[in-house]
Amino acid sequence: MNENLFASFITPTLMGLPIIILIIAFPNILFPSPNRLINNRLVSFQQWLIQLVLKQMMTMHNLKGRTWSLMLISLIMFIGSTNLLGLLPHSFTPTTQLSMNLGMAIPLWAGAVITGFRHKTKASLAHFLPQGTPIPLIPMLVIIETISLFIQPMALAVRLTANITAGHLLMHLIGGATLVLTSISTPTAMITFIILVLLTVLEFAVALIQAYVFTLLVSLYLHDNT
Amino acid sequence: MLSRVVLSAAATAGPYMLGTGLILYFLSKEIYVITPETFSTISIVGLLVYVIKKYGASIGEFIDNLNEQKIAQLEEVKQASIKQIQDAIELEKAQQALVQKRHYLFDVQRNNIAMALEVTYRERLHKVYKEVKNRLDYHISVQNMMHRKEQEHMINWVEKHVVQSISAQQEKETIAKCIADLQLLAKKAQAQPVM
Repeated sequence: MNENLFASFITPTLMGLPIIILIIAFPNILFPSPNRLINNRLVSFQQWLIQLVLKQMMTMHNLKGRTWSLMLISLIMFIGSTNLLGLLPHSFTPTTQLSMNLGMAIPLWAGAVITGFRHKTKASLAHFLPQGTPIPLIPMLVIIETISLFIQPMALAVRLTANITAGHLLMHLIGGATLVLTSISTPTAMITFIILVLLTVLEFAVALIQAYVFTLLVSLYLHDNT
Repeated sequence: MLSRVVLSAAATAGPYMLGTGLILYFLSKEIYVITPETFSTISIVGLLVYVIKKYGASIGEFIDNLNEQKIAQLEEVKQASIKQIQDAIELEKAQQALVQKRHYLFDVQRNNIAMALEVTYRERLHKVYKEVKNRLDYHISVQNMMHRKEQEHMINWVEKHVVQSISAQQEKETIAKCIADLQLLAKKAQAQPVM
């Protein structure tokens, strides 16, 4: 049971060859690039969607922050598509691996913070102290703010990993419960199946929302620092 | 006939029979094992099929609308450009037609100027006439005056000499005769109203 439960999270190999690179590169095929003035439905839909997301996310940034727009849009498309593809049966989701999420979160966060320190040093340092704190509390508050700053990349990575992994595990467990209950009492199995369906709807939502949250937080860090 | 019906029914049901047979074979021989993942598969695939069947067509139409809007915008620009050029062509043609009729304008202007010249000429002629008449009238009135003066002078001279020539004797006789005439006339005048 233990082996079965976590079997879907091991790094996939095909006959001893690690195909994880192919799995990460796969969602790229699903986003064709526009070739003509009037494209087919998939490309038009993708264009419309990306424009919607872009407008919603990048209006709050100034000129310097908008240079990050390509990075952020690629990020949200990648995380969203990988999460959604991971819901298919017997598939592997790269975003369940903490290593990959750390690899996404730490460079982006570090880039935002270092940009802030390079160009607006005083303002970035001023973020360590919220306005209107009473004077005796200042040393402790600076320490707390520093810790909170350094926890940001960890939180980003762990949040994404934990949400997706927990969702997959829950689906597996409730599916197992339904399986066992079919032979014991069928109505209970029906109820459990309905719970499973609801959970699936939640999973679809979570897949998209997590992508959004990740990208939004990175853009927030960017906004503070440009 | 009956065999044809049976055969056609069997033909349409062929693929479904194959599918059902395969699935039951895999399940019964445990080539495909029912795991917890089976139930997740059922729920995910079921959900996907439901959503696509329900909203697929409307999303397709929405995307077609997007493309239509793009084309319509470009088409509008093209039509506006064509219309603009057509308007320019018509304007040019109208201008050319006007140029053909310009000689009327020139004729009218020419006639106007000719009339103005005529009027000026006649005015000046009239002025000349008046001036000449003025001069001649002056000479005439001078002549008339001289004539009148001469006459008056002659009359005065004659009267003076006549008065001078009347002696005192002649004067008394003339006055007595006048009184006798007057008395006669007075008698006649008294007589008449009685009648």
